Amino acid sequence: MQPAIISVNHLHKHFKIYKHHRGALGALCNLFTREATTVRAVDGVSFTIQPGELVGYIGPNGAGKSTTLKMLTGLLTPTGGEIEVNGRVPWKQRRAHVAHIGAVFGQRTTLWWDLPVIESLDLLQYIYKIPPAQFQHNLDEFRTMLELDPFLNTPVRSLSLGQRMRADLCAALLHDPPLLFLDEPTIGLDVVAKERIRQFILHINRARGVTMILTTHDLADVEKLCERVMIIDYGRVLFDGRLESLRDRFGGQRELVVDMAEEYATVDVDGATVAAREATRVTYQFERNALSASDLIGRVSARYRIRDLMVREPNIEDTVRRIYEERLLDEE
Amino acid sequence: MYRRLVGANMRGQMQYRVAFLLDLVGTGIGTAAAFGTLALILQRFENIAGWTLAEIALLYGLVETAFGLMDMIFSGFDPGTFGQQVRRGTFDQMLLRPLGLTLQVFGSDFALRRLARIFQGAAVLGYALIAAGIRWTLLKVLFIPVVLASLVCFFGALFIVGATITFWTVESIEVVNIFTYGGVEMMSYPMEVYHPWLRRFFTFIIPGIFVNYYPALYLLDRPDPLHMPAFAPLLAPVVGGGMLLAALAFWNFGIRYYQSTGT
Repeated sequence: MQPAIISVNHLHKHFKIYKHHRGALGALCNLFTREATTVRAVDGVSFTIQPGELVGYIGPNGAGKSTTLKMLTGLLTPTGGEIEVNGRVPWKQRRAHVAHIGAVFGQRTTLWWDLPVIESLDLLQYIYKIPPAQFQHNLDEFRTMLELDPFLNTPVRSLSLGQRMRADLCAALLHDPPLLFLDEPTIGLDVVAKERIRQFILHINRARGVTMILTTHDLADVEKLCERVMIIDYGRVLFDGRLESLRDRFGGQRELVVDMAEEYATVDVDGATVAAREATRVTYQFERNALSASDLIGRVSARYRIRDLMVREPNIEDTVRRIYEERLLDEE
Repeated sequence: MYRRLVGANMRGQMQYRVAFLLDLVGTGIGTAAAFGTLALILQRFENIAGWTLAEIALLYGLVETAFGLMDMIFSGFDPGTFGQQVRRGTFDQMLLRPLGLTLQVFGSDFALRRLARIFQGAAVLGYALIAAGIRWTLLKVLFIPVVLASLVCFFGALFIVGATITFWTVESIEVVNIFTYGGVEMMSYPMEVYHPWLRRFFTFIIPGIFVNYYPALYLLDRPDPLHMPAFAPLLAPVVGGGMLLAALAFWNFGIRYYQSTGT
């Protein structure tokens, strides 16, 4: 096995939050009192990531996602624990570290606001000391793939969100970083733009072997891009594994929708409950672990004549929402 | 690298040509009016604390020119705009680039619109150098750029300290402006007109007296009414450079604090 590109060990980040009093008098109180509560934004996170992985890092708002990301990119110093990225400690060797990573933040741009896109890219060539041949080669490839040409000479402030995102992706990859951090790369984009960004991300991961960590609220991103997913909440890793195993364990009930050939008085079957019934259409719910879909179909077809049927998988969105809401992972 | 960053910033500024020109004209009128007022008052009273118009113009011209230069070169550190950079996360973007942070903040803004203030200050300074009856020596000629540089460092240090404080306060705080913009006003007049405690403040706490007033005394061959040691005028570069170094040390400390807390 190759050495890990990222290893994180018992990472902690605690913030002191000072109590705020309300109103004008309260503001005065704020100046003089220092009632602090400690918030454990990241509370003992450990994981390793191998080169070439594309990992989804998800969790509800305030779960500690962006705090972790800030520590991985060297913006924040941890309260405790260790991080090694590309063999470096991000906050101790900031400049060497950031020269070998790329980072894209959906919420803000890395480009120069008032300059045409191409001038920003040119500046990055100097900042990252990219050899001209490599720069030209990468730029040519990204220009075609991301269709940058129509707005290459437009100032960044005049770009649409989707265009800006494409320009930012290009900017983050020009210096061939082995590792790319993507923070909400599809936020605010329409379906077509999202899909385009996803395809590009996937291509870069597969063709160039760039390791990626992706945070997102759009679980379709995770579903389409990530084989491995980490769920974080209250600063702890609740789940770290393959997407399918998440579905297997917490996928909840699958549904079998059957169109009967005729209307029956009762449609009960062992091992499944009738969730809905509408004329000849019956919806059964059944536990993934207790009964396979083919067994259930066998049982139904043994008793009733079936015209048509369909198995419905719970989607990842529902699964993750259930995990957040019902705290399914808390006891582990 | 600095040249490239500044070049990029200037090309960005040139995207707003009309705003730039209006800014230039506006600042020009504003600062000219300020000195015009001073000149009118002096015409009425002939002198302030024994200083003639041309002599005060020396104080004023040095401070204005230097402040304008500083405001242009250090505008990345302007506490008002730097606070916004921190809030908006632009500063985080700098942390993500493999360049020194001080260099990047310097390169993030080079406010060409300050040129108006610099020209106007330089014009007043030019008038003072001709009309104040300076008995020129080679040393005095060489001393003028040193004084200007010291003043730039002095005000730059105040800007950097103000910018650094925003790591803690997020909002820029008015207190800092009192020292920078207030300092400019104060230092445009001879120090003997002020109350002793104010003079002490500008001697020991924020030692602006050494970068403008004492050098002016030396250039004009005026006796020192405050009885400081005779080498006081020569302290200008020491005070200016020292303050800048101290401010940069505080700045680096502030960055470490920022990296441990974020916003």
